[in-house]
Amino acid sequence: MLKEISQSQQILWAVNLAAGALLLVLLGLRKNYRAFPAFSLYVLLNLTLGISVFALYSRWGFFSRSSWPIAWGMQALVLCARALAVTEVCKHLLSRYRGVWALAWRVLLACVAFVLLYSGLAARRGLGFVLPKAERGLELAIAAVIVAVFVFMRYYGVKAKATDSSLAVGFCLYSCFSVLNNTILERFLDNYVALWNFLGMLAFLASLLLWSWTLRKPQGEALPEETLLPLGVYQSLAPQINLRLRSLNDQLCKIWKPEVTRN
Amino acid sequence: MSVTLILFFGPIALLLLALGWTLWKPREGKNLQTDPRWLEERGQRHTTYLPQIRQALAPADYNYLSKRTPRGVQRRVRRERVGIALAYLAALRGDFESLLRMARVIALLSPEVAATREFERLRLIAKFVWRYQIIRWKLLAGFAPMVQLDGLSDLVSGLSVRMEAALNELGERAAAAAELASSMNRRGLGAV
Repeated sequence: MLKEISQSQQILWAVNLAAGALLLVLLGLRKNYRAFPAFSLYVLLNLTLGISVFALYSRWGFFSRSSWPIAWGMQALVLCARALAVTEVCKHLLSRYRGVWALAWRVLLACVAFVLLYSGLAARRGLGFVLPKAERGLELAIAAVIVAVFVFMRYYGVKAKATDSSLAVGFCLYSCFSVLNNTILERFLDNYVALWNFLGMLAFLASLLLWSWTLRKPQGEALPEETLLPLGVYQSLAPQINLRLRSLNDQLCKIWKPEVTRN
Repeated sequence: MSVTLILFFGPIALLLLALGWTLWKPREGKNLQTDPRWLEERGQRHTTYLPQIRQALAPADYNYLSKRTPRGVQRRVRRERVGIALAYLAALRGDFESLLRMARVIALLSPEVAATREFERLRLIAKFVWRYQIIRWKLLAGFAPMVQLDGLSDLVSGLSVRMEAALNELGERAAAAAELASSMNRRGLGAV
């Protein structure tokens, strides 16, 4: 049936499907799909992909010309759902602060554009292997976006719910691993395919377990939006604070270059 | 090692480092402080001992000592003055960080923030941190002449007074704004 795939891989595949199903059950039973609808859709689609691809490879074989485009097409769909889920997690992390979130999502979009451009340029040699390269670009963008959100949170001193942080870390680590895995695959194609598949599934299993552990308890409603200050407060105070910071900087500059002061 | 490997492994290493840094146990008190009254408590620490510190750094004291005391004592005095200068520098940094914290709280609690202001602040932070470290290293290495230290004393004393006034003013305004916002919210809840 699946002679091209080793038994260990088949076992891991089954374990992954079981872990995905468990996560889906947890999302349903604990009613966590209400708090994370896009994430739940992603898990559902991913599980569907796993089952479909298993059926596909069973019918046509792992290396058949017909099964690869279909599998990659479905993978692209899951990747889109993944991007949606990441957006949802990012919103959970920062959107309570309307002003900062409005700034953050613009920066994140710019970050995505930059990373995709970078990935495209870095992998420009040869048109072969386009789908894994595209996937790698998207995964790198996802990892960069999540790290950027955490940097925003650190900078503004935002404390997030542990669940949101864990989901984001799960996504980020898996994305980082995917980028590395796909890059090695591109370099050592023939010898690495089996290991690439195995390691990819193992990394995803780790993410699934982390998410399942995180979502083992029902999540309450999302935290309400913070009570905001009137708009005028920022508009009048931010320039003043920046002015003070600039004057502190200027004074420091005078210590640094005293000869300028003395002239 | 191929170029592609470096081009992708490098960014991933950087991302993982950044992720580790952001998830590193946040220091206590770094979390969002939403009580505006906290702002009013800032800016009063460094002015308390200001007269004593100014006297310690006064050039007249040093001139007097240089004429009447042996070199060993002068060296010790110089060392102690550098220590005081470093403490002042740290105080300056503390003031800078207080302002930053306040700016961050206001930005967080604002319904709209201006990207230009936020990026300008980021640039100021980078400049400040760089200059602060350079001056600190110069002081530690003994490259900074005493004239600079005297300048530093005048600078910090002047700044502390101005900062205190500014921080009080900002704190009062933020508290008044928060009061206004909460009273508006209360009215909104009552209407529902």
